Amino acid sequence: MSAISQKSAPMARAQRYLIGAVCVLVITLMLGPIALSFFASIKTPAEASASPPNYLPQSLSTENYQKVIDYQAGLFTYASNSFLVAGMAIVLCLVLAVPAGYGLARFRLPGKEVIFVLLLAPLMIPYQAILTPIYLNFSKIGLANSHLGLAIVHAVLQLPFSIYLMRNAFEAIPREIEEAALIDGATSLQVLRRIFLPLVIPGVVTVMLFTFINSWNEFLAALIFMNKESSFTVPIMLVSVRTGRLGAVDWGALQAGVIVSILPCILIYVLLQKYYVSGFLNGAVK
Amino acid sequence: MTMPLLGRMALALSLSAAAFAPVSASAATLSLWARASSSNAAQHMVDLWNESHDDKVELTTIPDNQMVTKLATSVQAGDVPDLISFDLIFMPDFMKAGFLTDLTATLGADPNQEKVAQAFKDLATYDGKLFGTGFTPDVSILLYNKDLFTAAGLDPEKPPTTIAELQDYAAKIHATDPDNISGYYFSGSCGGCNIFTQAPMMWGSGATLLPAGPDTPVMEGPGVVEVLTMLKDMWDAGIIPESAESDTGANFTATFETGTVGMQGSGGFAISSLKANHPEMNFGIAPLPGIKDGDQSSFVGGDVIAIPTGAKNPDLATSFITWSLTDEAQLEGLAKNLILPVRTDLADNQYFQAEPRYITTAEAVAIGQTPYAFHFNDMVNADQSPWLTMIQTAVFDGDVEGAIEGARETMLEIAAD
Repeated sequence: MSAISQKSAPMARAQRYLIGAVCVLVITLMLGPIALSFFASIKTPAEASASPPNYLPQSLSTENYQKVIDYQAGLFTYASNSFLVAGMAIVLCLVLAVPAGYGLARFRLPGKEVIFVLLLAPLMIPYQAILTPIYLNFSKIGLANSHLGLAIVHAVLQLPFSIYLMRNAFEAIPREIEEAALIDGATSLQVLRRIFLPLVIPGVVTVMLFTFINSWNEFLAALIFMNKESSFTVPIMLVSVRTGRLGAVDWGALQAGVIVSILPCILIYVLLQKYYVSGFLNGAVK
Repeated sequence: MTMPLLGRMALALSLSAAAFAPVSASAATLSLWARASSSNAAQHMVDLWNESHDDKVELTTIPDNQMVTKLATSVQAGDVPDLISFDLIFMPDFMKAGFLTDLTATLGADPNQEKVAQAFKDLATYDGKLFGTGFTPDVSILLYNKDLFTAAGLDPEKPPTTIAELQDYAAKIHATDPDNISGYYFSGSCGGCNIFTQAPMMWGSGATLLPAGPDTPVMEGPGVVEVLTMLKDMWDAGIIPESAESDTGANFTATFETGTVGMQGSGGFAISSLKANHPEMNFGIAPLPGIKDGDQSSFVGGDVIAIPTGAKNPDLATSFITWSLTDEAQLEGLAKNLILPVRTDLADNQYFQAEPRYITTAEAVAIGQTPYAFHFNDMVNADQSPWLTMIQTAVFDGDVEGAIEGARETMLEIAAD
């Protein structure tokens, strides 16, 4: 054992360098496209569409960002709509997924596994196929062309995963804690509120993050459900802003749009990263 | 003052539900949906109308390739806009599907409608009824780089008038610097780009391309073999850059802008975008040639405007459409912003005088055509369409005859649906 550790002193250093090199490589692979996208976004529109491209900008310009910010109703309108829809979708998702996860993890129900599989079923149907029927029904009850209607769709799309994650989060809590609370006279709702909720906060945050990112990026439902420029969300604007004649792409506007749209996702991820990581493990190891 | 978490969530939910009830349009505001690539042009018209009318028009931009889905679902739900501006090529399918309002009695009786380019009138007629008119047109033209013409010893004021000349000029331009300069460019994986820019060379020569019905000629007549052979020969000789094969249209405009391409089929829209982004470029515009001099033709494209079935303000919407054909709208809304007018009698106007290249495009409207075909998307625009497959098989695989035969078969199958 000691022979190995003696021998490995220089090797350990080499190993550290090697790991460092691998890390640098992985980071480069991950950040490369974003960096290229950023560089392209600060070029002039003409330079951004040059072929072959210059990887580093020869001239700086905010024109692409200006185009994305000023396009039609303005970026502020689209971003506000996106935040609004994502916010409502998060609320809806939590209101439904937390009690559902609690029930599935902690109560003896007849046919629990069947119910669980049924709840996961939406994952197995491509949602594009059912969007039109949903839209037709929503328009009958006044939910078409409304942000709440879109938020409901986004929440439904996200629910199977959220319930799955919340169930695992609740199951990870030792039964003794629950029993102690019950012995002290707590009702099951009190157990959920006072004991379990603080313990599953990482799971809740993970659900919030995923719901936000998926709602923020969702294109097709937003396009089908919304009928007014002033109600559109960011992804619809991003597709329109880069569209030229016969499918020609405005590369500068496209890259500026990419940068603008990933900013909120990165920001929220960084803010909640601590919770997110432990929440992800909660779900994963179960 | 700690509110239970669930309670807070429920409160937030009910508040947001109350605050964001369905949005409804007021009676005096017309909604106009336009596809993204023509929304700039539509915006000029909308602004001009709004300046002088109490009833306002509000523009909503729909991504180009989602327009069919969007209109179809909203017609089914009965939640349609008052006006819709879309790629004219979908007109036959939309009229046949019953998506549009019959305007024969109103728009049909408008004296300005008679002056509209024939291509638009033909395309907006189904079963003897009129369903719309041209709104923001565009035409295909041959775009060429005058500096590269000069460098190759060609006269920059004499663009090719036949496809043989085009091939000859392209070879000469390529020969000036075979590693960096291409003679000709086309987007090899874009059905729409090629119906716009290669098809006019075929039908100008006399060919009939898309089937009008199950027993009509398809890809017949002079021009089909010749144009495909010309493209194949140029591809084999390296006159067309390799990037052409995989271009889905994303680089339809970007490649010419690099200044390394001698000629390319393009659209009138290229003039203003080149002038804005590449003021240094010395480019010319010419009609797309055919086999013989005098066979020049064009694809009349752009947008038509119509009223979807079930629209809530058809009278006001009709008055917007008839207004769009007035001298004021055509000149101040379109020509002033360097967009082609729909009416052929206004092709030569004061705004185009300063830029003769626009006169060329305006003249192309008069000699141009638009194919009247159902299932246009399946036949031409789709990734696996018989039209695109034919071009790819002929040019990149080198089998011209087999490619045409294959296209005929598949197109007739689609037409029989």
